[in-house]
Amino acid sequence: MTDRSRADDRPGDSVTSGGTVPDDETAPDGGADVATTDGETAVGDDASEDVAGTPEPAVAGRSGPSGATVGDRDGTESVEPAETDAETEGTLTIRAVTTRRTGRWVGVAGLSFLTAGLGIVTSTRPLLLAAVVGVLYLAYANVTSAPTPSLSAARRVSDSTPDPGDEVEVTVSVTNTGDSSLPDLRVVEQVPDALSVERGPARAATALRPGATMTFSYTVTARRGEFDFDGLTLVVRNASGSEEKEFDLSMAPTTLTCVPPVAATDAVPLHALTSHYTGRVATDTAGEGVEFASVREYQHGDPLSRIDWNRYASSGTLATMEFREERMATVVLLVDLRKGAYVQSGEGGRNAVERSVDASHRLFNSLLDTGDRVGIAALSKDDIWLPPGAGPTHQAEARHLLATHPALSPTPPDERVYVRPALRMLVGRLPDDAQVLFCSPMVDDAAAYVARRLHVRGHPVTVVSPDATRRDTIGRTLASVERSNRLSELRAAGIRVIDWSEDESLFEALEAARRRWSR
Amino acid sequence: MTGYELVRRPGRRSVAVSGVAGSFVVAASVAGGPVSAGVAVAGVACLLAGVWLGRIRIADGGALVGFAGVVGAALQGAGPIAVLFGTVAAVVAWDSGTNAVALAEQVGRGADTGRVEVLHALYGAGVGVTGGVLGFVLFRVGPTRQPVTTLFVLLLAAAILVVALNR
Repeated sequence: MTDRSRADDRPGDSVTSGGTVPDDETAPDGGADVATTDGETAVGDDASEDVAGTPEPAVAGRSGPSGATVGDRDGTESVEPAETDAETEGTLTIRAVTTRRTGRWVGVAGLSFLTAGLGIVTSTRPLLLAAVVGVLYLAYANVTSAPTPSLSAARRVSDSTPDPGDEVEVTVSVTNTGDSSLPDLRVVEQVPDALSVERGPARAATALRPGATMTFSYTVTARRGEFDFDGLTLVVRNASGSEEKEFDLSMAPTTLTCVPPVAATDAVPLHALTSHYTGRVATDTAGEGVEFASVREYQHGDPLSRIDWNRYASSGTLATMEFREERMATVVLLVDLRKGAYVQSGEGGRNAVERSVDASHRLFNSLLDTGDRVGIAALSKDDIWLPPGAGPTHQAEARHLLATHPALSPTPPDERVYVRPALRMLVGRLPDDAQVLFCSPMVDDAAAYVARRLHVRGHPVTVVSPDATRRDTIGRTLASVERSNRLSELRAAGIRVIDWSEDESLFEALEAARRRWSR
Repeated sequence: MTGYELVRRPGRRSVAVSGVAGSFVVAASVAGGPVSAGVAVAGVACLLAGVWLGRIRIADGGALVGFAGVVGAALQGAGPIAVLFGTVAAVVAWDSGTNAVALAEQVGRGADTGRVEVLHALYGAGVGVTGGVLGFVLFRVGPTRQPVTTLFVLLLAAAILVVALNR
């Protein structure tokens, strides 16, 4: 899907429609200048004035890649807050330049001399003429080099705050702001790793004359998280294609924030470790409540409504019914974000971390709905800690954290997480009466260790374990068996385990677990 | 997730650009007789197959065989115009074909690359035609009595000059 228009098709600044010049733009050095050349940037031009027409030799570009911000440093990001779509255009900063000769004409050179030689040997003059053509091609390939472009770029997303699963169209336009034309320009969008391109290549190739703009668009499917579109890869060749320069450019990021809608599940079964506030977890303490606990002898002052009138009718003695007291629980959701937890059953599914985060989101909201205090923690490199709390502000905070925290993104981290220090830190933070809902695929013994340690420290653990194992090969079957053994051991240690298989919803998994536990 | 899959092979239009140039190669080599024409046809077919499959080496080989057809035509007495025309066409067919392969490698089949490819082919053809005309004028008005070795040395000198100027 490539649509190109020359600058003269769109009068004025072809990438900045008048409305998108931001009002809140902090005036950089020489604000008036910026207003007219908004987003205009010279790439690879060390002189850094906005008249950057003269193509510099490749060496000049190579000498200053280390943060050689070209153009005004303040950037000219313009996001329209009134609408949901966002347009960003900004300073193109060169991260790296590679110049290489493609060497594609070397064969032609050799062949033309071979032809000339054959022409001499056989006294065929037309062959010598053919060699003349070859030499001219050799000149064509050798005397030109890949131009250093002067470009500005803008990126636009159709919806900067989509819901998960929405398709978002991203439009990239690149304008040649120099005064030499680019015979062969290839632009490759650096799509954030976690997003998948749904339609149209996020790439384009064209020739750009001065002032012309190329535009291409593609569609990505939004998923939970915050994504920055901030890079472009540019390959510029000369007309003969004998030399190419590759630019790795960064520009002001266009951010896509995808926060899933508030979702909850059914009431979450919890351990009977509670705070002293009234809530919904039935305790063994007899008192006020709805679930019958026991009958005791009537004492003076007991409310009439709790007298067992049936017993009075049959035996004439007064007895008072007691119910299980319902208290509020403090729950901390612990999400396993170690590298090993990013397991996925088969291609195309969601990985276990994504399912864990989704489960945490639902569990969080339903626990909050039932009046419990909920917090969030994670086994990750980054420090993720939301102390238990309640209320709409807390809910919004958690929703934002779960949706956009970079450590919760669907791509695995590079660093490993040391479980023991993380656990020590967590235990130090957990309130005394907190129980833990541990979301982990339980693919290694370290996860089981965490669950067991927390449990023996007096924080009852319920493991919600998204099952990502399969049994189609011997190795996978082994891993699957190991995991179910691990779960069995945890159950034997008194830890509740919700084994959540891929083809059932969290609600079904919770129901099944509840039925098992109440038996 | 279904998603978009990048196909790193040139599309039909890229093959068409090469095909047009390739047909000129065949047309030029017909001047030398059926054998050279046959060689040229085989070469062009191989070139187009290489472009379609995105295999540079196959395309290179095809272009070489196609050019061999032109050389064959020249050896069998084809005129200078046919040989020049065939040479330029062979270079353009090879150049646009391999360029399309490299382009597809970088941006994929789905991107609209027609403009840049046609422009590339036109640049190449322009250079070729200039070279052809230059050569033909030399052929007509040049010193026909000179031994061919002198011409060869001149060619070599020109080539070395071109390379040296760029270093």
